[in-house]
Amino acid sequence: MNPAAERPTDFDEQLQSLLGRCAAADAGALHRLYTLVSPILFACLSRILRRRALAEEALQDVFISIWQQAGQFTVTRGRPMTWMMSIARYRAIDLLRRERFAPVLVAEMPERRSIDAESESEGGSAAWLPSSELMERCLALLSDMQARCLELAFVDGSSHEDIARLMGSPLGTVKSWIRRGLRSLRQCLES
Amino acid sequence: MKPDDNEIIDSLASEYVLGTLRGPARRRFERWRASTPFVDQRCRFWEERLMHLAKDLTPVQPPAHVWPAIQRRLKLTTHRPALRRIRSFALAASIVLVAGLAGLLYWRSHQAVRATYVSTISAKSGEHIWELEVFGNADSLVVHAARLPARPAGRDYELWALPKGGAPVSLGVLPSEGASSRILTPIQKRALAISSQVAVSIEPLGGSPTGQPTGDVLYVAPLRAPS
Repeated sequence: MNPAAERPTDFDEQLQSLLGRCAAADAGALHRLYTLVSPILFACLSRILRRRALAEEALQDVFISIWQQAGQFTVTRGRPMTWMMSIARYRAIDLLRRERFAPVLVAEMPERRSIDAESESEGGSAAWLPSSELMERCLALLSDMQARCLELAFVDGSSHEDIARLMGSPLGTVKSWIRRGLRSLRQCLES
Repeated sequence: MKPDDNEIIDSLASEYVLGTLRGPARRRFERWRASTPFVDQRCRFWEERLMHLAKDLTPVQPPAHVWPAIQRRLKLTTHRPALRRIRSFALAASIVLVAGLAGLLYWRSHQAVRATYVSTISAKSGEHIWELEVFGNADSLVVHAARLPARPAGRDYELWALPKGGAPVSLGVLPSEGASSRILTPIQKRALAISSQVAVSIEPLGGSPTGQPTGDVLYVAPLRAPS
């Protein structure tokens, strides 16, 4: 189940090449990388941070980290898009902590397991994230509440307390849904 | 904490990647990940897998001024010398443009993700009492309390969608201060989709016991697209 063992897509290879050029201080490569991936990274940051100015500042921070750490990226670390998205998500979570505010709303969240015909087109999920039948199958095994909690935490950056408030459920119940959801995913992914 | 049980490590890694491991525990875990290859490996496993939860994110084009800001911070130069004069002119024009847009940007910087519908519930005096924002396909509702009038003790204000041709549908009790957000149920979403107005009634503490307004309807306000 080593992600790196999965076949890289053309997009992965393009990003990997650009990261290699960034590591060699090629500013043009960073600009190309920015053109390709900033829209999805900005979407991720906006979703978690909820404030446009903060998301813009975070996007700057993320590209500075990408530029500075590009030399550390290797294919053994997984897909380049996952690597960059993780930098963005962790930066956003750090900012949530440092800014001492919590997101106060949940914006549009497409229905789970909905099949969007446009997702296969450019700009849709297929453009930056290869599909994974295994992951889809494992996610489908979760209860609706477990899946909703995981989505709120991962995509919206919601804490246990945020989720309990948003779903109107006791904190202990939410923690249990998340714990059991993750355990179920692990068992399914590694079976 | 130095758990040596692989299952505990994996559980912590999954909560770290998910984002629910917070506070000092998150910072300790980050240090542990940086120094322990197995911990890093489990984090990468989860990063790759959980990324699929974000597969429906819709890309959003960042504003044009972000890239130049990155260039400035990194002191990058990608322009050829021949373009310097044009660049200087562009810079001067940008300054004028930025100055002109400063007010707008300031306003937008205080905006969250754009709402689908908004509504302002005002007193007769014109003072705003609550600001409502509906996000997505009526997926969620955020209410900001502004200047609340005095209300009878032991009573709550309740918000209602007024669907065309149907009975009011409760959107919940309104906050007396600050902001509150809630995920809307399918019934509330359907009601909002065919409502052009919302109303506020005064109800027993915790909201109407009947599912319909029982007290006076104090305010009615239109739902509109955000300006």
